[in-house]
Amino acid sequence: MTDILQDTRNTGPEKPVSPGMGPSGAADEGITRLLQALRPDLVRFAHWLARDRAIAEDIVQESMLRAWRSRESLKDATSARAWLLTIIRREHARLYERKRLELVCLDDEIDHHALAAGDDTDLHTLRAAILKLPMEYREPLIMQVLGGFSTEEIARELSLSATAVLTRLFRARNKLRAIYGLAPSSEPTATGDTP
Amino acid sequence: MNCEEATLLIGADPYTSSPELTEHLQTCSGCTEFHREMLGLEANIRRALEVPPPSSAATPTTASIASFKDARRATAAVAGKRTRPALWRGWALAASLVVAVVGAMWLLRPSDTLARDLVAHVQSEPNSWVSTQVVDVRALEDLLHKAGVTGSSLTSQQVTYVQYCFFRGHFVPHLVLRTSQGPVTVMVLPDEHVSHRETFHESGYAGVIVPAPQGSLAVLSRGAASMDSIAQQTWFTVGKRSQP
Repeated sequence: MTDILQDTRNTGPEKPVSPGMGPSGAADEGITRLLQALRPDLVRFAHWLARDRAIAEDIVQESMLRAWRSRESLKDATSARAWLLTIIRREHARLYERKRLELVCLDDEIDHHALAAGDDTDLHTLRAAILKLPMEYREPLIMQVLGGFSTEEIARELSLSATAVLTRLFRARNKLRAIYGLAPSSEPTATGDTP
Repeated sequence: MNCEEATLLIGADPYTSSPELTEHLQTCSGCTEFHREMLGLEANIRRALEVPPPSSAATPTTASIASFKDARRATAAVAGKRTRPALWRGWALAASLVVAVVGAMWLLRPSDTLARDLVAHVQSEPNSWVSTQVVDVRALEDLLHKAGVTGSSLTSQQVTYVQYCFFRGHFVPHLVLRTSQGPVTVMVLPDEHVSHRETFHESGYAGVIVPAPQGSLAVLSRGAASMDSIAQQTWFTVGKRSQP
């Protein structure tokens, strides 16, 4: 079975183009299957960015439409996952920039997580802490862990230097260390969070 | 590489690996300890993020919906694109997409939903395949212990990825073993029961699911690795769950 889903791993949209993914019916069918197969990933990614399930669903819906409209620009199936996650991130950023969304009650949200996962107190606290991370730290962390983006890819997408991305990722994890009783690590002085 | 550089790299990505970092860790106990701590934290971060959004949160607050709609209206006002015909076309396109998706799913539905779920899960963790760093023995032991798996003789030399993943309503061990024929994923599934050995080919992955004394084991590969031999080895080494 020829499959567009094959090897949709950690690769960026800038990868070399391969033939055979033109706007044919087969390619349309492939992109349809791709969108459906990756939808849970996309929702989860959007949810951790937006911190609200309903908004995440809307972002994903809008992003899937955008992806569908521009499906001809996807020439290489191996870059599909990163391509879609990038669309999600930009859709979220677009929304975020237009109007800062009102805060939802994260405690309620976290309670749902705990109930859903049956997890322990530390994990519960960790989820809350991740959701409460400032966007500048949460976004690169989500991109790295859930999206599989490399430091360089995150830097490109966020218009930051690689060093700035490393610093933000360091700070994000440093803020989470306390949950497990670990002392915050001293931030390396040689780094700076500058684009 | 000095301690500051090592700390930054480890703190930014505990799974990072480079000859310089490896060399530094061999000579610096402080950074080695920091690395160990961060690997433990990272496992929990990935576990925290692994959980999909809860269905109970599907009912959003009124404020957030209103806010989102406001934002959408703001976008429309600025772009001048959210006119009624454009919205109509959007919904029509969405409806077409849904029909196409349902049709494609029906025509191309996998024969085995467990196999499909396994492949989808592996695809959701692309990092698992690219990691080359050997997993810390304690992290592996902790995970297997947490999963109630005893009697494992898996050594950390074989394992390059280890996570406690949420899969089909349960947290299960998800390992990647480095073999001479490429990485092979092993998932220990105490709560998934199969009556006989089943093989599958799905989305470019080949796999085998074998019954285990308690539950089953799944082995997936994208290469030519001998999955049955891996399953057989794992069968004997990860054979029993200590608690239900």
